[in-house]
Amino acid sequence: MKNVLTQSKDTLQLVTVLIILCIFAAFLSKGVFIQPVNLTNILVQNSILMIVALGQFLIILSKGIDLNAGNIVGFTSVAIVLTQGYGTGLSVGVTLIAALVIGAITGCLVHFVKLPAFVVTLAMSQIVYSITKVIGGGAAVYTGTDGTPISPVILEIYSVRMLEIPLPVLMSAIAVAVVALYLKTTTGHFVYAVGGNERTAAISGLPIARVKISVYLLSAALGCMAGLMFVARVGLGDPQAGDNLTLDSIAAVTVGGASLSGGVGKISGAVIGVLILGVLNNILNLLNVPPTIQPAIKGAIILLAVYLNSVKG
Amino acid sequence: MTEKEPILKLEKICKGFSGVPVLQDVSIDVYPGEVHCLMGENGAGKSTLIKIISGSYTADSGSILYLNTVYKKYSPRWAHENGINTIYQEIDLVPHLTVAQNISLRNEPMTRTKNIDDKKIKERALNIFKDMGVSIDVNAELQSLKVANQQLVAIAKALSLNSRVLILDEPTSVFTNTEVELLFGLIRKLKAQGIAIIYISHHLEEIFEIGDRITVLKDGCLVRTGLVSEFDKASLVKSMVGRDVRIEKKERLTSTGEEVLSLKNLTREGVIKGVSLKVHRGEILGIGGLVGAGRTELIRLIIGADPVDKGEICYKGSAVKINSPKKALKMGIGLVPEDRKGEGIVAARSVLENMSYSRIEKTARGSIVKWQSLKKRGLDLFAELNVQPKNPYKSIQYLSGGNQQKAVLGKLLNADCELLLLDEPTRGVDVGAREEIYKVITKLKEKGTAILMVSSDLIELLSQSDRIAVMANGSIVKEFDRDEATEEKILEAALNLGGE
Amino acid sequence: MEKVFFDKAFGVLNKYSAIIALAIVVLYGALFVPNFLREANMTAILYQYSIIGFLALGQLLVILTGGIDLSQGSFVALTSVVAATIMVHAGAIPAALGALILCGGLGLVSGIIVAKTKIPAFVATLGMLGIGRGLAKFIANAKPIPIQNDLFKSLGRAELFGIPVCFLLWILVCILLFWFLKKRRLGRYIYAVGSSEESARLAGINIARTKMFVYMMASLFTAFGGLIWAARLGSASPIGGMNYEMESIAAVVVGGGSLNGGVGSVLGTAAGVLLFGVINSILNLSGISPFWQGAIKGIIILLAVAISQLQRRRNSKYK
Repeated sequence: MKNVLTQSKDTLQLVTVLIILCIFAAFLSKGVFIQPVNLTNILVQNSILMIVALGQFLIILSKGIDLNAGNIVGFTSVAIVLTQGYGTGLSVGVTLIAALVIGAITGCLVHFVKLPAFVVTLAMSQIVYSITKVIGGGAAVYTGTDGTPISPVILEIYSVRMLEIPLPVLMSAIAVAVVALYLKTTTGHFVYAVGGNERTAAISGLPIARVKISVYLLSAALGCMAGLMFVARVGLGDPQAGDNLTLDSIAAVTVGGASLSGGVGKISGAVIGVLILGVLNNILNLLNVPPTIQPAIKGAIILLAVYLNSVKG
Repeated sequence: MTEKEPILKLEKICKGFSGVPVLQDVSIDVYPGEVHCLMGENGAGKSTLIKIISGSYTADSGSILYLNTVYKKYSPRWAHENGINTIYQEIDLVPHLTVAQNISLRNEPMTRTKNIDDKKIKERALNIFKDMGVSIDVNAELQSLKVANQQLVAIAKALSLNSRVLILDEPTSVFTNTEVELLFGLIRKLKAQGIAIIYISHHLEEIFEIGDRITVLKDGCLVRTGLVSEFDKASLVKSMVGRDVRIEKKERLTSTGEEVLSLKNLTREGVIKGVSLKVHRGEILGIGGLVGAGRTELIRLIIGADPVDKGEICYKGSAVKINSPKKALKMGIGLVPEDRKGEGIVAARSVLENMSYSRIEKTARGSIVKWQSLKKRGLDLFAELNVQPKNPYKSIQYLSGGNQQKAVLGKLLNADCELLLLDEPTRGVDVGAREEIYKVITKLKEKGTAILMVSSDLIELLSQSDRIAVMANGSIVKEFDRDEATEEKILEAALNLGGE
Repeated sequence: MEKVFFDKAFGVLNKYSAIIALAIVVLYGALFVPNFLREANMTAILYQYSIIGFLALGQLLVILTGGIDLSQGSFVALTSVVAATIMVHAGAIPAALGALILCGGLGLVSGIIVAKTKIPAFVATLGMLGIGRGLAKFIANAKPIPIQNDLFKSLGRAELFGIPVCFLLWILVCILLFWFLKKRRLGRYIYAVGSSEESARLAGINIARTKMFVYMMASLFTAFGGLIWAARLGSASPIGGMNYEMESIAAVVVGGGSLNGGVGSVLGTAAGVLLFGVINSILNLSGISPFWQGAIKGIIILLAVAISQLQRRRNSKYK
């Protein structure tokens, strides 16, 4: 059951934009675009971004920002590969715990020391990147520290289908479900209040610490999941796995209507934001726009989206 | 002392905010070389008036003549550059620059090569301070000074701009007696130079010592302007209050219940000194006093937003330590804060959601929020409080002040509080909503809720409270039963007349 | 009494702390780290850190107004790529000018965004980071461009009495910036805007123009650093300058700058730059993996910001 206390019409606008883009893409590609194969492909290609964007969404909702999103993915991808010697379950488990520790430290610095989120996550991104390079020797890693190859269970993720749906898409759907469920809990619901006006939330007796730290924990866990999927997709762990993810996730979340001043945004918006970016990528490719210019376009999109959001509010 | 021509002439100034009139047909003359005191209780319109004079606000109607020229559009910068300067309580200087640098900011003496002449800047500051008879280290970083000295620097800056009109808004609230004397010596010098001074203060002794004329405002209207010699303390107080309105007092319950809250010698360093009071079930205790008396600070101690240094809070018979608003709410203590926008609402969220925050954890099943039960309860409250417009899903920021306040009240009603703290519950609220809020408060009272209500509105205090405690300088100076209180007595107590 | 001492200690600690720390670290290096004092090592530090040095001066200006510039790294790459491309057709000087003008222009755009819209500085410059990176990759076709022009390369190689010319240039610019902040009105107004924008506005200072100026200057400084980088490397690379803005932010903050604005100094920033240079060198010479550099930078930033935050809370007790 969704949050019946606040309703808004933004989702409709976003879906309209998405549909228009899809129509444009279909036209450009002479119909190839809307073929189920292509559409499924887009979902598969964007499943990692989807998961990372969900974490970014929560943090932005709490009036923060996560400049460490990409580096956590890089870290977890390397960590999972390096620990393959302990078996899949344990390697993912240990990596998850490490990611949660990072999230906990970030959350505590933001809440208890009252440092701005962008500074903390900026600094943490350096620290995490460093640690990733140290444990992995600075380059991509292909096997565990004892030589164990990456488990086939992981490597098959991108080739498995369940009920005709590719597993990566299912996994991103699960992530969406988890975050949606989180927002239905008391803590998750309070993220809106804490992000919207922390002083009011405090005077109203809301558990601020719990809210703020849980957001960073959940985001780190999602980062770990994304790291696992990266390994599955590319077959290695790479400190630079998340190179574009930070910027991309911020773009997706802001396009999806979340406000950087906190308290505003819907999970459906974040999801559609990712899809819009995915389709946009597709369109750029169809238009033969060189992939090199894409970060520039994303940067411009972020600026535009944030500007429009701030004017609207 | 006064010349024939006023330097500043305000005629029939009117100003309103969101349809609420704040100043109505106020006409004042200010002469060069006079100390013109502006008096009135909280909300009488004093700050609005001086903001109009200093260009921060524009009057809705009426005219202003400055140096015999009519001006329609002011701006603060224009006012600064043309000799009208205001010294506010919130210092508008730059904290990280030095005293000397602040005094000359945007007005720096320059060398031939268009560089800043730091030597001249220091000299200017030293000279001004010498004239003022003040010794402040001109090389000190501004924020390292105590507030009283920061205000002196603000005054020095105003003087360096060749002020003709100097407005002082409660200048002595943080001054020691020596500093007050220093300020008065300075004021006398300025008078001799022909500078007009508009002086706002509620320290009556100061008014009578340094003032030449007094203008009294009440509810946005001019009551009287006259020479200081024409007033005495009693007549001054009487002109500030004393309305024709017959105050309809609330129905008192036949008997109030047991003690819900008892404060014993509550103290917070520098802010609250030894406050003791009691509130009972079904009783409304009104807290009166002027701005700065410590009323909101007292509330913050009870709600757990600030730590207690000494003394005890007894809630429902046992001594408690309230470390956070979260704990207070759990115990059944709720607060409607003074700063609605900053602490009362989450602007971006809907009315319904805002009203539900207090109830979410109570009704949750495990950790999952029970939307339907919240929605039902919220909608009931919404209807009961008659929140307008009738869309509970609308973002709360689009509602009028009165309706927002109803929603905040709704949030607390939703929490079933046993002790309710209200800080200026009807400030910025229109008349209709005000009445509705009073009805809600009455219902709560009848239900047995104990209510502590801070208010600057004397009528409100008199009509709603069962008992009234008046605060000044961080402590309670007088307590009244509702039948013995009058506006004048409350104001007198708030002004701390009749000995300290 | 104790409280006053504590306040003074924290206050002094932050303004001169970088210099003291630098002295300590240099001493440590001289005494315990082999090859530290060797000329080759010293000059290597000076070359590398004159680049960061320029970036840090630009970052200082932006941070003084209460903002931040996250785009610096990408502008280093962009500058190198633009210069390399123009150089082939027109020579070193036009190449340098072209790059400076482009980056300065983009910096001005950042400034306009920050000054005229409600978009926070970190978002605006983050967006610019993407734009800069994208442009760099696009212009260079995602490949490094070798630089043949010897005049240009001399920027990164020339020495005067054994000291790198680019380092001397940096010292010169430090002195000029120091003079500017102290003696020119705009310099002072930069501090005022960062310290209290509202008071600055009331005093009649043009906030928008001040902000646009600092972002433009920051990008110009960054571009100059990018030119040195390309000259030294002998090639232009679209992926160059990664995370350079981290170093410049760290240098400013360690040198006593506050991210809230209004506090910071050329002296402190310069000391911060050299401090990181020396620390990096010591780590390298001690055989500690260069990978740790990022972590150390990150931790230092966190510590410095935390201390400055504590200081701020102490100071605001007066209000």
